Amino acid sequence: MKNTFPESSGRTAKMHGPDASGENSLPSSEAFSAPDRKDYIQAQKASHGRKIFGVFPGHYPRELLWSFDILPVEIWDPPIETSRADAHLQSYICPVAKRGLELILDSRARGLDGILFPHLCDTLQNLASLTAHYLQPDLPVYFFYTPKSTCPAPARRYYIQQTRLLAERLAKRFGPLDPAQWAARSAQALELDRALEALYALRAGGGLVCSNAEFYSFVRQAEYLHPDDFLPRIERFRAVCKGEATGGKRVLLSGILSNPPEILEALDDLGVRVADDDLLNAGRRIPAHAPRSADPWERAAERFFALPPCSTGSSPLKQRLERLAAMARSASAGGVIFWTVTFCEPEAFDLPELRSGLKRLGLPSLVIETGLNSGLSGQTATRLEAFLEMLP
Amino acid sequence: MTFLPAIRYRFMKDIGAPAAMRFAKIGKKRSARPPDPLFAPPLAATRRLKELIGRHYFLSRYAPGAMPVAWVTSGAPVEILRPFGYYTLYPENHSALCGAQKVGGRLCAHAEEHGYSPDLCSYARIDLGHALTGNTPVGRLPRPDLLFASNNICQTVLYWYKILAARYDIPLILFDTPYRFGDAEDGPDLEYMVGQMEAIILQLEGISGRSFDREAFSRTIDLAKETSLLWGRVLATMKTRPAPMTIFDAFAHMLPIVSLRGLESARGYYRLLLEELEERAERGIGAIREERKRLMWDNIAIWPRMREHANLFASHGMAFVTATYTNAWAETTPLLDPGRPLESLAKAYSCVILNHHLEHRLNLMERLIREYRVDGLVIHSARSCKPYSVGQYDIKRLLLERLSIPSVVIEADIADERAYAEEQTRTRLEAFFEALENA
Amino acid sequence: MHYAAGIDVGSLSTEAVILDSEARIVGESILETGFHSTRAAEKAFEAALAQAGLPAEAIEAAVATGYGRISVPFAAKRITEISCHALGAWRLFPDTGTVIDIGGQDSKVIQVGTGGRVLDFTMNDKCAAGTGRFLDVMAAKLEVPLGDLGRLSLEARGEATISSVCTVFAESEVVSLVARNHPREEIIRGIHRSIVHRVVSMVKVVGVQGQVTMTGGVALNQGVVALLSEELGRPVRVPAEPRTVGAFGAALHALKNGA
Repeated sequence: MKNTFPESSGRTAKMHGPDASGENSLPSSEAFSAPDRKDYIQAQKASHGRKIFGVFPGHYPRELLWSFDILPVEIWDPPIETSRADAHLQSYICPVAKRGLELILDSRARGLDGILFPHLCDTLQNLASLTAHYLQPDLPVYFFYTPKSTCPAPARRYYIQQTRLLAERLAKRFGPLDPAQWAARSAQALELDRALEALYALRAGGGLVCSNAEFYSFVRQAEYLHPDDFLPRIERFRAVCKGEATGGKRVLLSGILSNPPEILEALDDLGVRVADDDLLNAGRRIPAHAPRSADPWERAAERFFALPPCSTGSSPLKQRLERLAAMARSASAGGVIFWTVTFCEPEAFDLPELRSGLKRLGLPSLVIETGLNSGLSGQTATRLEAFLEMLP
Repeated sequence: MTFLPAIRYRFMKDIGAPAAMRFAKIGKKRSARPPDPLFAPPLAATRRLKELIGRHYFLSRYAPGAMPVAWVTSGAPVEILRPFGYYTLYPENHSALCGAQKVGGRLCAHAEEHGYSPDLCSYARIDLGHALTGNTPVGRLPRPDLLFASNNICQTVLYWYKILAARYDIPLILFDTPYRFGDAEDGPDLEYMVGQMEAIILQLEGISGRSFDREAFSRTIDLAKETSLLWGRVLATMKTRPAPMTIFDAFAHMLPIVSLRGLESARGYYRLLLEELEERAERGIGAIREERKRLMWDNIAIWPRMREHANLFASHGMAFVTATYTNAWAETTPLLDPGRPLESLAKAYSCVILNHHLEHRLNLMERLIREYRVDGLVIHSARSCKPYSVGQYDIKRLLLERLSIPSVVIEADIADERAYAEEQTRTRLEAFFEALENA
Repeated sequence: MHYAAGIDVGSLSTEAVILDSEARIVGESILETGFHSTRAAEKAFEAALAQAGLPAEAIEAAVATGYGRISVPFAAKRITEISCHALGAWRLFPDTGTVIDIGGQDSKVIQVGTGGRVLDFTMNDKCAAGTGRFLDVMAAKLEVPLGDLGRLSLEARGEATISSVCTVFAESEVVSLVARNHPREEIIRGIHRSIVHRVVSMVKVVGVQGQVTMTGGVALNQGVVALLSEELGRPVRVPAEPRTVGAFGAALHALKNGA
């Protein structure tokens, strides 16, 4: 009897070394493995004298922080077990908020020069206030509200004013904003957008040879690497991974973030390629088109308004559906996996309409709801496999 | 023929509705009953309230065709909408009514069968579920032509109303109120909100085909302000010892300020109610016969359990005399200034408790506790309402530290009766009662 | 003559089915999974072989399914129980449009298309209510053998109401009912109503299409089947041996895909 599947020893699908997924693995994965976050941050402080800000999920003008020589370190899924957070947050609050809060309460947070809360949802909004007023009153906390109005003129004006206000506050602490730095970092933000967009296009077109797990492990380095370090890495990654990706079923991912990583590994084990994604921490923050303005303030606003539609914003549902359908077409994806975090209201509200819309267009979808760092349960594995068995 | 629905609406308004209310025995004096051991006789004004509610929903069925229909969120600046002649309905209020009638769970289940997660706000689930069956205490809400929302109370209404916009293929007008994280001067926030209002007015002119009547707008603001001030005075009667009304009553009497704000009927109603309450206060008639302790309620009501809770607390001689929720439609009224309509509306609507940082909320709660001479606090941790619930555990702790005030947290939900753990809640409440007695 | 095998390793029970190339069942077995999934798979396979009077070498293709499908080293392919129940049920009743499988630890509703293809599915695997586990717990509380639940519920004249959606809280309700000397048959009917409610909610998520076929161990409970049929407003067919449909479907997949 022919053994068509590799031996797997445990219940959870695991990668054993760089070649475990067969032909689609990276030849020299060490060059692209994520640098240790703690060590990297320490080096940034010590060698570059950079200030470290913890940044919660949501949109914020990164280039502005870079201009003040601040390294934004994003807090999506810190590897910290929640215990103290439960005294402050109810059981029906999402794990992103809980783990983020646990990190804030932890002594490690004292090394931070500030925390930035972009406005994303009710839970994080209140968490920002809780942190600033009661839990870490000595730690400077900044809040960045992003406009949701569909009236373009007031919204654009407001975004620019908000960015200037944030700059003023940062300037009060760290000295005036250097216009040359601001212009340079603004240009760098565009460069980063272009590089990521090119990488995504390559993947969608089947021109990238690497596993799903490796891809996201790489892309997620943007959450803490300084652009000076990340931009060259993107170039190297592209150069090394460029090639003909072999066949296999192709899917889209949509959700907040790619955690737990075991799900990506499971997709790899099943020979499934993630062709494109609408993840808030990845594909959903690549602007749809480049800004035209040369002025950094205007550019920052243009970038924001060019972002793909999000469940947390006010764009009509139709726009989200159309975008997902278009992505599926151009990436030749046969289905969509909605990968949601437990208790994420904005994502959960959109799902039924999106799923029925996709179904009408002949695109089946699956919803998997997970906690963070929770591993791959047998139930989730079965759901995934059953869904993939459905795809042509 | 489009004037036929208009004629029918007029008929229903002047003749049909009053007849229907009489037929339903709303407003009819009940025959004499033996005095209730726990409560004073019900307020006479309550009959008028039931008439108003009944009429509001009854007449809404005849609005389509006669006038455009708008579904509005409880915190939206409806004053801007009124001059355009929409029949306004408040799905949140409708969901609360369903919750109070204990049919919330069933309606939520319909939504869940259509793929809506059971972790979503139950007001939204009830609304989304009811449209599929129409089986609610007041029937299916008439199909909207417009959605008018503000996220000052929560972001959830935006997610919810986006679905409605897609489902009915109608415009969604959002008034975005930036969260007040700090106490800084208004600056960009205010300019943004006023800019939105101006754009919204233009948009409404386009949609309705009518030009914005600034006189009517001005009159509506005056009316809404006066009504809101009256509501504030109604609430203030509970400062009296014994309180002539409790918060459980107030949860019912708040309907007009939420759903009929800017309309004459709401102002008329609160004048009536206030008169009766002031009289009772003067005569020392307390809502509960034996007021031994005075409490504050935090968060929205647990609608399916109101009657049981009202009985439970009254039987322990405990009266709820103030609440952050009912106060929300009175707290920012002083900011309204007909001389600066758009600016003052923006301020009044953006400064509400749920759009404000937690220190503001805590200060407000401290003030209410002092003014109403509150002995204890019941905190409803509502699954459905994250902006209200996130931070409550710390508020509890801080109030204890600052004012030595005992409190209890009840984990429940606003309108889904399935999310209520009888035994656990009762145990917590009993421990709370003991703590209060011994305080 | 060619032969194919399907092994369904569940968390509670393991089944094996052997088919000839005409897809006729020549051997099958059902046994408890116990602690060791691989051992259970081997034993089930051996027992089915014995019934068929075949040596292991005669089997040209084997497919494993179920919770423990990765624990079957001699199976060339692993396919989820969703796909296997769909194919198996469709093969038994070709007009099947909806499959309802209530197993020991989970339940699923599958929309089935032509050829037994899976068009859509939903699973309840987060909580015990709506699964065989719910009935196990209640049967133990009532001190009634699991196999008698169906028969007893059909003798009930009335029906007790169990309102809790959670198994743990429902168990307390049952205890109170017993203490109040409520007739046992009526309590059992109420328990059945509970599990059927949960399942019907799931069915509505996927939507009922065509004819309904029920599989899995709970399908042996005539009381549940009757109430399910009543609530769905349509007949619910149950195969002669509902517990082996998964293994049957796996064997059909093995036949289809060959060696």
